[in-house]
Amino acid sequence: MNKGKTANVETPAPGTDQPEARDAMGRTVTQRKSEVRLGREVQARIGQQLRAMYDDVVKEGVPQHIVDLVRRLGDHDDGAA
Amino acid sequence: MKLDPAIRDQVLSTVPSLRAFAISLCGHVDRADDLVQETLLRALAHIDSFEPGTNMPAWLFTILRNLFRSEYRKRRREVEDADGRYADTLKTHPEQTGRVEFGEFRAALAKLPSDQREALILVGASGFSYEEAAAICGCAVGTIKSRVNRARTRLADLLAIDNIDDFGPDRATRAVLAGGSGRG
Repeated sequence: MNKGKTANVETPAPGTDQPEARDAMGRTVTQRKSEVRLGREVQARIGQQLRAMYDDVVKEGVPQHIVDLVRRLGDHDDGAA
Repeated sequence: MKLDPAIRDQVLSTVPSLRAFAISLCGHVDRADDLVQETLLRALAHIDSFEPGTNMPAWLFTILRNLFRSEYRKRRREVEDADGRYADTLKTHPEQTGRVEFGEFRAALAKLPSDQREALILVGASGFSYEEAAAICGCAVGTIKSRVNRARTRLADLLAIDNIDDFGPDRATRAVLAGGSGRG
């Protein structure tokens, strides 16, 4: 879903001198210890792959049988169970 | 009583992402679609318990996740190698992505413990905040953060990526260069 916000962003702890990284979506990437070790570029790549895989399904939209189901149940609510 | 069209539209607009989540949980499109359908039946039967104005995606994801978990527990008693089966079923959905490089990524994702996988997907792909993901999974925010971290670390290990050159379009080029080792 497009919630229009950068949900998975953490504010870096004060005093952190790590430069702000940005992932493929232009969102800031928090530099936690393990991620620093892995490298922010690698993390950005993993995030990119994950979203690309997920978005391939999202792009398929709503299957027709689901549209029909929701409409049918929404029209007479007693059928829902 | 008829379903409020606005609520109905909220439900429908969540379905694509809900499906993507379901597929990533159970790895099989047909089973995922059954799971989505079951989720919607349950959600619409209990639509009165949804407070308008609150987070519809989080509500539906919670229902789906709980349904999956109870089913998964049942199945685990019957099927010993649940993770192996998950990996196998992933291969039955090649049309989801025609891109070859996803094969390795999917296989690595399939090897993650399911709690880490779901946390990573909720935060990294579905776009939920850590707080929302924690509510969906019924655990503490810190637990989600640690699961996401472990998932990322493990994925990087599985993919054996030490640096960016190991995990990108340059790989093919490097393979070619490696093949021509007699040169240079």
